[in-house]
Amino acid sequence: MTPSRQRTLVWGLILIGVVFVGFFGLRFFRAFRDFRGHHPPPFPPEDAQPAETDVELIRDWMTIGFVSHTYRTPPNLLYKALGVPPRGNEEKSLQQLNDEFFPKQPGYVLETVKAAIRENQSPPTAVSPATAIPPAKVTAPP
Amino acid sequence: MSDFLLTQVINYGAPILGIIVLIGALGVPFPGTFIVVAAGAFSRQDILTWHTTGLIALTCVVLGDSLSYAMGFYARERILRRFQGSTQWKQAETSFNRWGGTSIFLTRFLITGLAVPVNLIAGTSKFPFKLFFLYDLFGETIWIFGYGGLGYLFGTQWEAVSELLSTISGLLLGLVILAVGGVLTIRLSRTGAAHIRRARQSSNQ
Repeated sequence: MTPSRQRTLVWGLILIGVVFVGFFGLRFFRAFRDFRGHHPPPFPPEDAQPAETDVELIRDWMTIGFVSHTYRTPPNLLYKALGVPPRGNEEKSLQQLNDEFFPKQPGYVLETVKAAIRENQSPPTAVSPATAIPPAKVTAPP
Repeated sequence: MSDFLLTQVINYGAPILGIIVLIGALGVPFPGTFIVVAAGAFSRQDILTWHTTGLIALTCVVLGDSLSYAMGFYARERILRRFQGSTQWKQAETSFNRWGGTSIFLTRFLITGLAVPVNLIAGTSKFPFKLFFLYDLFGETIWIFGYGGLGYLFGTQWEAVSELLSTISGLLLGLVILAVGGVLTIRLSRTGAAHIRRARQSSNQ
């Protein structure tokens, strides 16, 4: 290989490196900024995994079975809300269901599933106001 | 692609995860880290069992790495015919034998974009397979159980973790390419300077 060709190859390599560093550097700062707000959720006691409540975490790749498991919602309720038969659709993602049953309404399945789960969630229970704890009775020793 | 793979993992569980990481180890550009972190989160949600899934994924990824090592090993003759006797090839082989273990280990989980090329180079340069296997096993254990563990820890927030890990890996890959480019530039300039010095000396004589 001639020296000029070697030099061209090396400069090409450096250019690729600069592009990678620039592209992933920007993505890293964005990902880091988004990640800072996240903390691992506390581990519940054994056999008491709480249901997820944030419906904004539902994605198009999820299946009805997965969503119903994660949000502790009966799958039939979700199928009923969509008007889709459960049989033969268990392994289809929300996107696939949308493409098959509602091709003219993009995002319909996702939004309907979110709405059905929101409706099914029990309303937040009111926290009772703090009450004063009566002082413990001190009894004199006999 | 990622969405399709995620749907398959929640439908078919550990076997499909094993197939994904195996094919990824053979060079098909699958989003491996993304899927491994997701699998960790699915384990927390009781969709997958973490120990069985982890062991199946580890076995498959080590098998895939060994196969790509074998591809390099059996392509050796053809490559040697092309570069036989060249000093650059000998230099590359010597430096891989010196730094091979570290590069195999680090490319399993930190600079995953270079994992397949490193497997091929290891096979081509006849890096001892037993050593390759050990470094590979340690590195992939960190990838599967460490990254999967992060997914498990963060549960439904796994997407943020996965995005961060993927960008770190891409950033490191860029820095490695820049470093290699820098080292080669220095080498080239030294060789050029030596040539000029030699030419001057001969003209003076």
